[in-house]
Amino acid sequence: MKLHRALLAFVFGAGIVTAGGITTSATTVPPDSAPPEEAAPATVPTEWDVEATGTCDGGPMTMWERSGGNAQMVDALVAAWNQVYPDCQIELTYIVHSEMVPQLARGIETGDVPDLMGLDLIYGPQFTSAGQLQDITDLIGDDPLAANIVEGHRSVATWDDRLYGVPLYADVSLLFQNRALFEQAGLDPDVPPTNLQELHDMAAAINDPDNGVYGYYLAGNCSGCNIFTFAPLIWASGGTIEPAECGDEALVGDSIPTVLEWARMMHQEGLIDPAAQAENGETFANVFGSGNTGIMGTGNFNVFLAKQQNPDIDLSVALLPGLESGQTASFAGGDIVTVPMGSDRLEDAVEFMKFILSDQVQENVYMRLGNLPTRSDVEPVFDDPDVADTLQALSVAQTPFTLKFFELINSPQSPWLQMLQRVYYTDEPIDEIIADTKAQMEEIICEGAEAPATTG
Amino acid sequence: MRARTKRKLAGAAYVAPAFLFVLAFTVYPFMRTFRISLTDESLLVPAEYVGLDNFRDALDDDQFWGAFRFTLKYTVLLTPILMIGGYLLALLLATNTGVRRFTRAVVFIPVVIGLGVSSLLWYWLFSPRFGLINAALQDLGIIDEPILWLGVNPNTSLWAIIVSITWKVIGFGMILFVAAIQAVPKEVNEAALVDGASAWQRAVRVTLPLTMRTVLLVTLISVIGSLLAFDQFFLMTAGQPLNQTATSVFYIYLNTFPFLKLGYGAALSLMLAAFILIFTVTQMVLSRRSAR
Repeated sequence: MKLHRALLAFVFGAGIVTAGGITTSATTVPPDSAPPEEAAPATVPTEWDVEATGTCDGGPMTMWERSGGNAQMVDALVAAWNQVYPDCQIELTYIVHSEMVPQLARGIETGDVPDLMGLDLIYGPQFTSAGQLQDITDLIGDDPLAANIVEGHRSVATWDDRLYGVPLYADVSLLFQNRALFEQAGLDPDVPPTNLQELHDMAAAINDPDNGVYGYYLAGNCSGCNIFTFAPLIWASGGTIEPAECGDEALVGDSIPTVLEWARMMHQEGLIDPAAQAENGETFANVFGSGNTGIMGTGNFNVFLAKQQNPDIDLSVALLPGLESGQTASFAGGDIVTVPMGSDRLEDAVEFMKFILSDQVQENVYMRLGNLPTRSDVEPVFDDPDVADTLQALSVAQTPFTLKFFELINSPQSPWLQMLQRVYYTDEPIDEIIADTKAQMEEIICEGAEAPATTG
Repeated sequence: MRARTKRKLAGAAYVAPAFLFVLAFTVYPFMRTFRISLTDESLLVPAEYVGLDNFRDALDDDQFWGAFRFTLKYTVLLTPILMIGGYLLALLLATNTGVRRFTRAVVFIPVVIGLGVSSLLWYWLFSPRFGLINAALQDLGIIDEPILWLGVNPNTSLWAIIVSITWKVIGFGMILFVAAIQAVPKEVNEAALVDGASAWQRAVRVTLPLTMRTVLLVTLISVIGSLLAFDQFFLMTAGQPLNQTATSVFYIYLNTFPFLKLGYGAALSLMLAAFILIFTVTQMVLSRRSAR
């Protein structure tokens, strides 16, 4: 009897050990399922080919940067600055993304704010409208360097025609194409789709679900992935999505129903992996690198990631198209660097901004690390031609401008994601879905705001 | 009289550190939360007093109550699994032999892993594209297509998370139960054995009643933990599909931090705390009655 129970106990325990074993192996064994490592070229220099662009001798400065961004890029920028400004060293601290605002508020209360603050650019309007950032217009506004900063970053760093920050780094969304799958389907990988119909047709030609190959990819459970890669299809087609402030209309544009119908068609025709319905962003960056997706909207960073994950992958990039040929768009993401209220090092902080916008840093730090430059007028200098190709998106990239980006768009409970899920996975009438979403977005943007003035 | 006063003072001095600790880390934050709940605090702009508006809004907030109902459902489903499973494991492993000690240690190992880490591990395990669970089920011929465990069907998502949490925390209850079972006097069990009671009868009629206090303690811990569930849902489903797997704390988190509605988040937190308090007091009263 005792032996019986001991055996039973052992079997039970062994079951749990097995479960634990599976868990451990899931994170280490299959090479194609391992989480991506940080996008990076083989070597990160320890010495940077840069010179001081001005003077800064006011002593050490502090900088906060949100976690979860492009830490490698920010580390490199700070290292390059510290190399040439020994009397003005920057001490960089990473703050958990969701903790940035509480930390800053505490800092303002105690007088302990950083001199520089890297901010997810989508929070720009919220911070500038609340008066939490220092106006840098008079110090850098007329500088030719600032005249060419990427437009998406400029728009969210501007409030009432005053500038409050410059780009720290930029990401853009593009259409990635798996050249091998294109050739297998008899398509020319050098001829990308120029409109959504062509995108559909190419995806259909590539689609081979029996062999695990799908034509296109749309994340079903990830608001951020969709604003990054699906919103540009709407923008390119002439639509707008989010209301900027109370009184603005949401989802404007006759093309919106057609783009949404297109997305539904892509799902209904089985051109998108059904597994994408569960995609909450965690494995999004691994999808293209797995080599089973013909065409996919993703970010410039995915060039490195895909090649790291799958060294044999042969890819090309193109712009995300709209309904009509020639219509293109992209999402400009990344961070802006700002000076929070309470810092008394405004001039030195702006010196840092000028430094990172200078030609030498754009070339010898940003592009050397395979990142996009943050000025639109610099000549591309990239070792990898695929990375160079991603640069084309900068000129058509835009960033949503709204005071409630997270509630409207980025939250897993946002009306944006709910709209897409209803479009992708239900048969509900598109017009009804749009009307519901419009009402929800307009209610959210007006919550806590003064009622808009009526005209007429 | 003087001696009494001295004793009282000495008693107060002993209590003082704990009292100050509670004052600093429980009473003050609670009062501060209450104060914030009466404002429209956002951290970005100066807060204004709004009275009980946040509480009124919360009463009409369908998303909050939907999340609350889902949290209750999760709690009601998970608690019996953890209790019964933990107790059965403890019955099997209570005796101190080499194999049993080893098995106890193995079952307990996931308890020391962070919940965030274990949630990510299970997210990958359940992944339809990369996960080993679907791959194993397909290789065994049990399923033809990968199952979309997380974020697509609320029930499938819920059960997938329950599996992951059971793996993660069942060892905690088991260890407490093992300690309680080992504390049951041998003589009582031997007397029952002499009276002809089977192993099952001894477990149900002797061991269980004598370990009831631990059972109630573990129930309390398990229920409170489930009502405060956050990490696993945040990481594994993000409340999807269509917010049907959003828990109360997840909704409070969204309002408080990403939405920067601290006043509203504080009001929701207090409402949830009040519910947990009512539940805890009720259970403690009931457990005292049953112990009499």
